[in-house]
Amino acid sequence: MHFDLAELDGHDLSVTISGELDITNVDALESAVGSALRHHPGRLIIELSELRFADSSAIALWVRWSTAVHEIELRDVSPILRRVIDSMGLADTLNVKP
Amino acid sequence: MNDGGPVSSAAAERPRGTEGEDETSTGPSGPRGGRWPFWLPVGVLLVGLVVTGVLVWISASTYSSNENRLLNLRVRDAGALVAEALPSVETPLASAAALADATDGNVPKFMQFIAPYTSGKTPQFASVSLWRLGANETAPLAAVGTPSVLGGSPARAETFFASTARKSKLGVVGLLQGPKPRLGYAFTSPGLTGRYVVYGESALPANRHSKFQSSSSFADLNYALYLGSLQRPEDLLVSDLKNPPLTGRTASISIPFGSNSFTFVVNARRPLVGSFPQRLPWLIAIIGVLLSIGAALLTVRLIQRRNHAEELAVSLEQVADENRRLYSEQRSIAQTLQHALLPEALPKIRGVETGARYEAGVEGVDIGGDWYDLIALDEHRLLLVVGDVSGRGVRAAATMASLRYAIHAYPAQDDPPATILTKLSKLVNVGATGQLATILCALVDVEAHELTVTSAGHLPPLLISDGTGTFITSSVGVPIGVNTGATYTSTAVSTPRAATLLAFTDGLVERRGESIDTGLARLHDAATANHSDLDDLLSRLLELRRGGDDDTAIAGLRWLD
Repeated sequence: MHFDLAELDGHDLSVTISGELDITNVDALESAVGSALRHHPGRLIIELSELRFADSSAIALWVRWSTAVHEIELRDVSPILRRVIDSMGLADTLNVKP
Repeated sequence: MNDGGPVSSAAAERPRGTEGEDETSTGPSGPRGGRWPFWLPVGVLLVGLVVTGVLVWISASTYSSNENRLLNLRVRDAGALVAEALPSVETPLASAAALADATDGNVPKFMQFIAPYTSGKTPQFASVSLWRLGANETAPLAAVGTPSVLGGSPARAETFFASTARKSKLGVVGLLQGPKPRLGYAFTSPGLTGRYVVYGESALPANRHSKFQSSSSFADLNYALYLGSLQRPEDLLVSDLKNPPLTGRTASISIPFGSNSFTFVVNARRPLVGSFPQRLPWLIAIIGVLLSIGAALLTVRLIQRRNHAEELAVSLEQVADENRRLYSEQRSIAQTLQHALLPEALPKIRGVETGARYEAGVEGVDIGGDWYDLIALDEHRLLLVVGDVSGRGVRAAATMASLRYAIHAYPAQDDPPATILTKLSKLVNVGATGQLATILCALVDVEAHELTVTSAGHLPPLLISDGTGTFITSSVGVPIGVNTGATYTSTAVSTPRAATLLAFTDGLVERRGESIDTGLARLHDAATANHSDLDDLLSRLLELRRGGDDDTAIAGLRWLD
């Protein structure tokens, strides 16, 4: 798993995640992004075009982030992941964009 | 959270909880490599000494044979020199004899001829006398120099002259003892009148001791000259040693001398081949012994190090064993706790068969967050619950336990599934704990063949009847924890006779890189193809998750009619 954190117009935040995000590395992402989220409570855009796999703990992390910011958006979600998110009834919560 | 190290499944599944602390003291099996024996240095030392001995022997025998060869060459050279000096004894006597024969014993002429040989600082002869054979005389015709020793014993002189007569060569009378030992010899004229014998005596050096000149090419030799072929002390003529005989490595040569012979014996004062070849065996011996001892000590050191390494390996192995034991103990605790959080026994309701399975995902010491539950509400209704708390470990297990026991409390208040989940949603907050829980809650009316299903973000249950399966896709609410104010709705379904209901967690169907629908289809196919009893079906379905690393819980229910 690899991620890039970018600030958008001072208020919003963008996280680009690539590789595989699962229970073994979700903590690393959480601690890296967590403090940035506190200073950017506006919009969080999660860019997932390079993400190959995410397990339920990754989805739980995004849900947690969604409660910390004003607005969250998941972009470029793969069909496989989209299906999982749908099956969990979280498409609206995570504001999944195709 | 989850960082279970590698562990062999055999070690992990071995029950280890009752094992005491004594395992470390008894230790595992012995060292694998085997210790090096302590006799090895002795062996190395012996081999070194044997090799040294052989080398010493070779160098010593080479030295010895070279030395012998050189000494033999030298004694031949020296012997030749001695032999060359002999004519100077024989010639004057022979000439004097010839003169006496020619002049018929003319004494003045004899005296005149021989006088130079008996005078001077170092006269060649101490005494020379002219004798006439067969004259029965007891005195010489003429004598020059000091009186002869032989002349003092006429009987011996007569015997000697008789034996030496007409031999026309030098007769040697031998060593003549006396205050000053002499060597006596005679020459008989071979002439026509042949009756004259010239007899001479040479004085031997005082104490028969004479050194080579230091400038001589033989200065490096000791020598001894004997009369005759035997090296007897009484036959010693001269030697450069004060106390002959010569000892050690000697070489001798025989030099003909008239009717007798000399034996010339030499030994070397210092090694003829040089001092280095002589010392070489000793050098080899000393260096070889030192090297052997050094090699033996090195071997001792190597053995100590190797044995130390072996001991270290053994103790590391023990530590590793202890770690494995602790790890499996922890895992055993985790599994015990996990099973403690699952129902001990499933309730028995008339008209249905129930079954459930739980399988831990990753081989680790963490507890998973999956669970199942079957709760009998009354004689013909029961609640079937399958849930999955995100994450692993004690926090997940604690959340799972609180949810599970809460579910036990609510139906007692006769709440329907939707209400139960709505109430549960107030218990968990992802913002606070980071946890979500997906829960499927199905109220089963056995008698009425009715299902009421509510899902909080959970995968749909599979309903099988007559070889066809249907996933009951109710309206899915958000997982528990997303929203403490979430509300849920139920979906009611009528079930055919002898239907089978299967609820499960995502570990059963999810595989990386694969759509969840593929996994659901795989489950559907496996479940509908199987016509055995519920227990066997559940066991077979667990095999679907082979290779999966997530926890899996399955709960099943089958109407008996």
